This record gives sequence, structure tokens and C-alpha cells, in this order.
Amino acid sequence: MDGDANVQSFDLINNNTVQSGDTVLIKLPNGETRSVKVDRDSTISLGRIGSFYADELLDKPHGLTYEITGKTLKVLPPRTLQEVEDTDATNELINDGELVQPLTLSEIEALKRSGTHASDIIRTQIEKHTNYSLKNEYSKEKYKQRKEAKYSKTFTVVEPTLFNVCEYWYNKDQNRIRDLRADTLSQLLNMANVRPGGRYIAVDDASGLVVSGILERLGGEGRLITICDVDCPPAYPAMVQMNFKKEQVSSVLTSLNWATAQEDYVPIGASLESTSGVIRSERQRIRLDKRRVVSDALTSAREELFAGEFDGLIIASIYDPFPVVEMLSPYLGGSASIVVQSPYAQPLTDLQAKMRTSPHFLGPSITESWLRRYQVLPGRTHPTMNTTGSGGFLLHAIKV
Amino acid sequence: MWSTDREVAAGDVVIIWQTRDIIQPLLITPGKDLNSRFGHYRHADLIGVPYGSKVGSSNGKGFIHVLRPTPELWTMALPHRTQILYLADIAFITSWLNIRRGSRVIEAGTGSGSFSHSVVRTIGSAGHLWSYEFHEVRAEKAREEFNRHGMADIVTLTHRNVCKDGFTVTDTVDSVFLDLPAPWDAVEHAKKALRKDCTTRICCFSPCMEQVLRTVTALNDAGFTDITMYETLLKPHDVHQIPVPISLSDIVDKLKKSEFKREEKRLRQIANSSKRKRDSSVDKDDGSKKAKTDDDTSNTAEIGPAAVPVTIQSITETTPVPSQPAKVNLSKPMQEVRGHTSYLTFARLLPISFSPQMPDLDENMVKSDTASSS
Repeated sequence: MDGDANVQSFDLINNNTVQSGDTVLIKLPNGETRSVKVDRDSTISLGRIGSFYADELLDKPHGLTYEITGKTLKVLPPRTLQEVEDTDATNELINDGELVQPLTLSEIEALKRSGTHASDIIRTQIEKHTNYSLKNEYSKEKYKQRKEAKYSKTFTVVEPTLFNVCEYWYNKDQNRIRDLRADTLSQLLNMANVRPGGRYIAVDDASGLVVSGILERLGGEGRLITICDVDCPPAYPAMVQMNFKKEQVSSVLTSLNWATAQEDYVPIGASLESTSGVIRSERQRIRLDKRRVVSDALTSAREELFAGEFDGLIIASIYDPFPVVEMLSPYLGGSASIVVQSPYAQPLTDLQAKMRTSPHFLGPSITESWLRRYQVLPGRTHPTMNTTGSGGFLLHAIKV
Repeated sequence: MWSTDREVAAGDVVIIWQTRDIIQPLLITPGKDLNSRFGHYRHADLIGVPYGSKVGSSNGKGFIHVLRPTPELWTMALPHRTQILYLADIAFITSWLNIRRGSRVIEAGTGSGSFSHSVVRTIGSAGHLWSYEFHEVRAEKAREEFNRHGMADIVTLTHRNVCKDGFTVTDTVDSVFLDLPAPWDAVEHAKKALRKDCTTRICCFSPCMEQVLRTVTALNDAGFTDITMYETLLKPHDVHQIPVPISLSDIVDKLKKSEFKREEKRLRQIANSSKRKRDSSVDKDDGSKKAKTDDDTSNTAEIGPAAVPVTIQSITETTPVPSQPAKVNLSKPMQEVRGHTSYLTFARLLPISFSPQMPDLDENMVKSDTASSS
């Protein structure tokens, strides 16, 4: 097979199994997804679902579904779609408000406490249910699903793909990621032509989701300089669930802030030399060395930015986009892509109007992303009832 | 892939941007010329020009931009041999299939290579794309293109009907993308080609719902799980610079002014006509008629001159000086847009070696409820 050695070394970076120290996304039966740190020799608690030994997950591939039994895990076989047989039942004889379930809440609680398996509890409920047989088959399915979401002690380890991590953040707190939906994020990365070995400038006020996307696309090869609004390296919390290897990040990512990214910026701060010219103690030497490392890193990041010829500029920022584009686009090479994301149309509308009067930008255009998901079940295929209103807006232009 | 040098060199494929709608690829061949309605250009003159440059024509008829190809520009510029995939679908598929640096991917069919170029860019030299095309001439065209674009090391292109003959690799790829008229016939083959030591993914691209339903059944029968389906589109927005609408009070004043003028004109006409009448029939007229017209004119005198100065003054004061009217930037979705491309059916294949055989929770319940309902 072609490129075998390459492929193997890549499996090390693109790890396909859960490792100690990873943060994994766990999907519960009720559809909720939680972010959980997996450390060797620890216990992971999932609240009502129960708890289990973290070691049970280690070295297992992502994507599996487990059932908690005691503190251990049992892998469940993949579920396939169930064909629903049509019967004559029509729900015609079912009325609201009738008492149909003689099993009381306390009886159910007692069953749960005694360790009865979820499927047995549900079976008991179905047996006692006075109208179950009157339900049509679709209603029966829904009933079972509802009960399962309530009682089953199962969960699925969601694969830490960019798509899934984006979806997790979108459902958890979409404001913090500037309403950046997975489809829009994927368009942004393609429009910006992010590729292994490329060099990019990014402004990410979307909790690091954009940075995560770029880092994953770079795969440890290339360069990413981010400009942030804090004076220490920015926290990009979305990177946590991506479980990047240290090498994949440290060799690629550097950050400057809006002040240090100014060409006329002059650092003010403690001197790199001892004031007396002589180093008096080991402690002082270590302190000066540390200072020098930080200062050198800053100087080289600034030099690299100002040397320019970057392949792309990606902006998902809370700041007025035009000054950001004006300030950073001179560091782009000819024909490089500029992509600006916003949850609102107006800032990009103004940006487009300004950019098109400038000779430096070719074809600035605005798009809104549209996405529709379908439930696909035999005989029950339709668009999902609830959906997101908009995927946000992107502006793309070419630096000329 | 394409040149990453700063300047254009002989043998490079460049993208010539003439307008937003006229974007074409060009293989720089010294000795050749490019003629378009935006002028005349010699290829040799483009050599050494930095990518992203604006170049004026030798006959002064216009200018072009010389751009570095990207898969996205290629999608806009490529010669169509088939229906092609566009950015929204390509990006979404890439993301859902988790295609990234080092991924090993299968694509069938190759078609016009729109998706292939994007995948090759994303996986880089550490990854690999196996592309299959059943149409021999199209396969050859694509092969030439891949060679010309420096992708030959990353793509293995095979002329083959995969529905009949399957794929050329086994237990190897991370994801499969099927853009075929009958993807359900290739699902079992795809399963063989996918690696089994981790979760892998498949996407089937079909324009019709009937195709989706058959594909879903085939995927389910083959043991794929988490079957889901999406539609995705890009809605382009147009930006318009329009004058700021005048304020409502301005309109009120304008309407008042025009009403006043109308009234003024009416009264003038009445005055004129009664004057004419008076002049022509001054001898015949009796006293009562005369008195009435006198009344009319006195009315005019009352309403007109008394009301007029005030109104006119207030109008002239509030009317803005007609200098440069302020403009505002507004955007709206374009009217004529693509409304549907295809349905994207996705599914996962879980690593079988980690799934022990055991009675299914669901099967238990299916049995139990047949018992209870009978």
C-alpha cells in the first residue's frame, strides 16, 4: 500500500483510542453530552446513570456504547434500525388523562434500587400499561425510547472529531463560540484553504474553536499565529476536547496580542541583563533566563508576522472587522484567502462595502450557511422538527 | 499540489479571474496567448509575476487577476465533465467524515474532480485518496488533470465500476464517499475497504429521496449505524448601497406643501375664471351673482395669504440641503440561488473486534412486547 510508513506515524497523532489524560465527550441516553476527563485509576461519575472505573475506557476505540454494570462497563453491540410493522392499531381509542399505569413511582424506584435491568423495568411497565396494545406501532416505539432514555444505564463515547466537538459546544453554549455551527466551521476552513504545511493568521474570539480547526487541519505541520486581546497566551477552551498532542500544538501555534502585534510596539518591562552587570545568584540567573526565553519568543513571533507572506487570514472576532482586516492583511501573500465569520449579517455587510472599494481585495462575498437534518427511520423519514435558525455568516475575499 | 512559489513560473496552472463569473484555469505555456474580451495577454508576460497580481492587457483593453489555484477556485473554474460538488457539500462531507491530515479516503466516482482536489489538499502528502471512475474517457481526463496538478503521489485513480467489481483496497480506509447513481450496490464493497480497528464513516450523495431510502436500507443491512441525513446550502447575500430613506417628518412636510400648492392653484384658477366671466359678462350680471364672486375672492384673500407665509416658511426651513445624500449598506439573500444539490446520507461503522456477540437489549424488548400485545 502507498505511504505505509507515513500512515503509521499518523495513527500516533490521530489517536483512535482513549488515553489516560484525555477529555472525552460522553453522550447519555437522554441525548445530553458531557465532557469528562479520563485519568487512570480514577472513577468517573455520570450522576443518575451511575459511576465506573475510568480504566475501563482506556485503549478502547471511540464511538462505542457501554452499559454500566456495577463499576465496570459492558460494550453494547451496535444498534440497527428497526423496521416497524404496521398493525391495525391507530391510537383511536386512546384518550388523554386516563390512568394507564398502575405501577407507582415508588414501585419503579424500588425496582431501580433492587438493581433490576432497565429492559426489565420497561417490560414490567409495558405489561402493566392498560392501553399499550391500543397504541399503533410508532407510538409503541416512541414509548419504549422515552422509557429507555429514563432508565437505561448506557452511554456512548463520542469521537473527538472537530464536527462533534463543535456540535458539543454549539449545544452547550453557542454564544461562547460566536454561534459557529459545524457546517459553517467546515466552510470557513475550506474557504481559507487550510492545508498541512500552510501558514495562517487567526483571530479567534470563539473559545478556540477556529484555532482547533486550523490546528487539526495542519496536523502538526505549518504555522499559526493568533492575535488575542489578553496579555498572556490565550485560553482556547475548545481545544480541550480535541485532545491535541503537545507536539501538534507547540511546534505550530504562537500568539501575539493587539499591542505586541503593532509594528511600533516597544516592550517595557524588566531588563534582561542584571543591573549591576554581574549575576549574583543562581535564582537570579534562572529568572533572567526565563525572561529571555519569553522575550525571544515574542521577538521571533513579531518578526515572523511582520515578514508576512502568510497563506490565509481567518477572523472570528468581537471587534470591528474592517480595522482587523486592514491591520493584518498586509502580512498576507498575494492570492491568499481572507475569511471573516460573524453571527450577524450587518458587520459583514459594512465590511464588504468597505473592502470592495479597496484595490487590495478581490471578490469579497457574503454567504449564510443553511443546514437541514433529517430523521431517517424506515417509513418515518422527515426533517427534524427543531432546528437552528441560521448557521451564521462568512465573508470571503482574496488578497491581491 | 499546485505551486507554492511567490511568482508564476512556466508550467504552472494559474486561475485567471476576469470577473466574478468568468474564472478560468490556465496552464502557463510560453509562446501561447490568452485572448478574451478583457484583452490580449502573452503567457510569457505572466511568468515572474507574483501570484495575486493585477495584470493589464497588452492592447490596453482591460485587466485580469492572476491567482494561485485553490480547490475552491478550482471548483469555480474547472471544466465540467459531470455535475459537480460545490463548497457547502464538500466542506460538510469533509467535516462529518473527519477527513484531515493523513486520512485515507475512497471516492467513487471521480467525476470532474471537484471533491478530489479538496480532499487531496486536506489530507496532504501523509494521506491517500483512492478515486474510482467507471467512465473511461472521464477517468483519463481526470488522470491527466491530477498529474498536471502534482497530485499523482496522493491519488490512485482506477477506471472501474465499483458497484460491480468493488474497490482495490481492503481494511484500509478511514472513510468512503459514494457519488453514484446506485450507491446501495457499493455499500458492501465499501464495508470491505474500510479499516476495522476504529470507527470509520461513509457518506452517500444522492439527489433523490428514493435513492436515500434504498441507501439507508443497504447501510442498515450491512451493519452501519447512526444513520443520519443532511441537506446543506450556501445562501449568498448581495450588498446594496442605498440612500438613507428621508425621515417621515420630511414626507409630512412634502405632502403638506404639495397640498398647499394644489389649493393655491385651485384658488388661482377660480379667481382667474371669475375674472374672465366678470370681464365678458360685466353688463349682463346681476348684483347677487357679483356679490357671490366677491365673497369668493374675499375668501381667497383670507385663506391664501394668511396661511401661506407660515407654511412656506416652515417647509423651507426643514427641507435638507440637497447635497450628497447619506448612503447605507444593506444586504439581502440573492434571488436566484441553488435550492437543492443532493441529500447527504451518513453512517458509521464501529470496530467489530470490540463488539462482543451478545443478546440485544432491543431484541429482548421486541420479543417481550409481541408477547404482551398478543
